[in-house]
Amino acid sequence: MTRPIRILVADDAETITTLLMTSLELKGYAVTTARNGVEAHELGMTQPFDLVILDQLMPGLSGLEVIRKWHEQEMNIPVIMLSGVDDEKTVVDSLDLGAVDFVRKPFHLPELMARIRQRLRALEIELAADSEDRSNGSGATADNQDAAQ
Amino acid sequence: MEANQVAVFAVLIVFAIDAALLASLIILKGIHRQRSLHQRQRRAGYMTLLAHHLTYPESTEPIGRKTAADPAFLDAIIDLRNAVAGTEIDTLAGIIGRYGMIGAQARRLRSRFPLGRRLRAAVALAELGDESSADVLMEFLDDTEPEIRIQCARGLGRMKWTPAIDAIVDRFNVETPWVRSRFTHTLAGFGARATWPLIAYIRVNHRFESAGPAAAIRSLGVIGDTQAGPSLIQILEEATDPEIEIAAIEVLGVVGGPLALQTLIETFESDDWRMRAKAATAIGEIGDPVAVSVLATGLEDNDWWVRRNSAAALARLPGGKWALYDALTSKDPFAQDAAAEALADSGELIAARHRDQTGTATARDLALLAHMTPEHDMAKT
Repeated sequence: MTRPIRILVADDAETITTLLMTSLELKGYAVTTARNGVEAHELGMTQPFDLVILDQLMPGLSGLEVIRKWHEQEMNIPVIMLSGVDDEKTVVDSLDLGAVDFVRKPFHLPELMARIRQRLRALEIELAADSEDRSNGSGATADNQDAAQ
Repeated sequence: MEANQVAVFAVLIVFAIDAALLASLIILKGIHRQRSLHQRQRRAGYMTLLAHHLTYPESTEPIGRKTAADPAFLDAIIDLRNAVAGTEIDTLAGIIGRYGMIGAQARRLRSRFPLGRRLRAAVALAELGDESSADVLMEFLDDTEPEIRIQCARGLGRMKWTPAIDAIVDRFNVETPWVRSRFTHTLAGFGARATWPLIAYIRVNHRFESAGPAAAIRSLGVIGDTQAGPSLIQILEEATDPEIEIAAIEVLGVVGGPLALQTLIETFESDDWRMRAKAATAIGEIGDPVAVSVLATGLEDNDWWVRRNSAAALARLPGGKWALYDALTSKDPFAQDAAAEALADSGELIAARHRDQTGTATARDLALLAHMTPEHDMAKT
């Protein structure tokens, strides 16, 4: 059986975290939520996530600060940044720091889900291949590789 | 009974009543807290339910009339409506329409009391931004409660309901400053569509009213549509009310462009210091270096605000900085002060100090530094 893809959703707005958690869980992803930047940073440091959806403006640490701290610890977690600020500098800074995508709020849910699927497509294929290998008796799995990291 | 016993008895009665009131307050607060908590929990549940419907728009899972009537469900819909864009708004509009939520809020708004319930209904209709509520919101633009009028206007602005523009503008004459300022904010949301209704209102009313047309002029400044420039120039030339003139001068700095420059330069010669001060700022905002020599004369005006605004405008204009440096050697000490302050505010003082420290200071730098030293102030006194 394929392990679920793990996604962290970090936003101080309960509306966003509930909407994204529900939508993503309905599509079969395992979702953890964080309500502020500090919590998001700690979760990213202690648990393995395949993708993070991060709000730019949060109490404690901003989204940019969270990515920066992860980079300092050499944690390269794919991040999709969400922001209600329509500011070119924020977009550029986010992408320069390593965010894989930038989505403005209010967002179009199907579009965001499509971007998430696109980012995870390669991993989904890999996990499906691992699952097939396991069922055929092969050893290497994505989980083992995660543990090795 | 003796007097002392009566006094003690009275104090005990008062104490008992206070204790009873305090206990009631604590109990009511506890009940309210519990109700709020339950409402938040229900709202979170409804959020999940609605998220399900947004993820699968074709879902036929029923929501239930009792759920749809719950205020917590309405809160959840409003929150989600503000968080999403595109077809999800249509999905939410479908749910709102299916369960008659607009009609329910309209009935609450039409009820005579309590005010809190009516106000919540107005806010809900404004937040939902559904065009089916436009007629109700238009109806209650005349409500006796100012906050309800504000919310109705806000709702019409959110859905960009252009027939509301005239209705909102027409109310400028009769509204309080607070309500007018909120209406101004709403009209700004309509953008250029509100420009001509505002201009028409100002043209008709500026000879008879003051506050309404002045607020309408400022609305044009917030909207920022340069098409308003020529009309505002004409209004400034015709107006006799100082409040309207001042508002027109301010806004011409934003929307007037080069066409307004000549009129503003003429206004700079007004006997009223307020007109001169506002004209200086507006000329600076237009940014044409042709105006440098005119603003330089403002440095020697006998009013502080005119000097200050002229200096600030010069600091913004190409070439204006040199006029300020020239004013440092003026015979008028007030002109010197105004020029020095503007140069300092624009960062020239810091740059001059840096050049002085590196030995590359120019004569102008030294003149500015000399003016800004405490010794210079003492010499003046």
